[in-house]
Amino acid sequence: MLTCKEQVARSSDYLDGQLSFREKLMVRHHLLFCPNCRRFIRQMRLMQATLRAMPERPSDDVDELAARLAAQRRDDSP
Amino acid sequence: MAADDTQLLARLLAGEQKAFKELVTTYQSAMRAVAYAIVGQRHVEEVVQDAWLSVVRHIGSFEGRSSLKTWLLTITANSAKGRYRLNRREVLLDDLPSPHGTIDDDRFSPGDGHWLVAPFAWHQDTPEALLTESELRECLEHTLLSLSELQSSVLLLRERQGLELEEICNLLEISLSNVRVLLHRARLKVFATVEHFEETGEC
Repeated sequence: MLTCKEQVARSSDYLDGQLSFREKLMVRHHLLFCPNCRRFIRQMRLMQATLRAMPERPSDDVDELAARLAAQRRDDSP
Repeated sequence: MAADDTQLLARLLAGEQKAFKELVTTYQSAMRAVAYAIVGQRHVEEVVQDAWLSVVRHIGSFEGRSSLKTWLLTITANSAKGRYRLNRREVLLDDLPSPHGTIDDDRFSPGDGHWLVAPFAWHQDTPEALLTESELRECLEHTLLSLSELQSSVLLLRERQGLELEEICNLLEISLSNVRVLLHRARLKVFATVEHFEETGEC
């Protein structure tokens, strides 16, 4: 059976679907019996979702850039 | 080509300003992340500007063999590679210290590999609830800035832009095993930051 340390080392690969079938089973097996590691994986997923949900830093020049690009495109097209 | 790509493309070809605004709003962050990984902070803006010009110049010949997103990011990567590049070998090995550390060997018993200090149970269980704390948001920004340029780009491209690992490899010309290592190290540091905040209530 994997140790907690080994489980943590494989956690990103587990979340990204990068483990072999056998290794995935080993991680699942460990998680079944280890509440600490279940919490770790759950909170890793929450951390991922939190990064995804973080607000974009506003970019102030979007309108100007869009105007410039659109004008350029109209000039280029026959 | 995806239906929304097709529609947007038609409007872009017509030179519609609103369509370009949509394009910039949707994809500029991802383009910045790609540029950041290849040329570093100092040259991001010029690379992204170059990339936009190249996009406009070539949009008439975009054939939809890839998604619009992949096409834009490939153009960005190419325009970045045409310029000054970071010293890759140095950067790949870089694992800079992070404000709240990481989940390292000290957390586990040297004997049996069990947790010595178990993961602290966070008070919140949704991203929205976590992010209502403005201090945590700032704290996360701070940690992201502490990562090496490559580490933080790989993390953002994966978690925020939803790119597949293979796409990241191709754009940044790094091996899959390196992408996996970069991603894992970055995640553990961000994890340690949230854990620290949840445990102490401060950054």
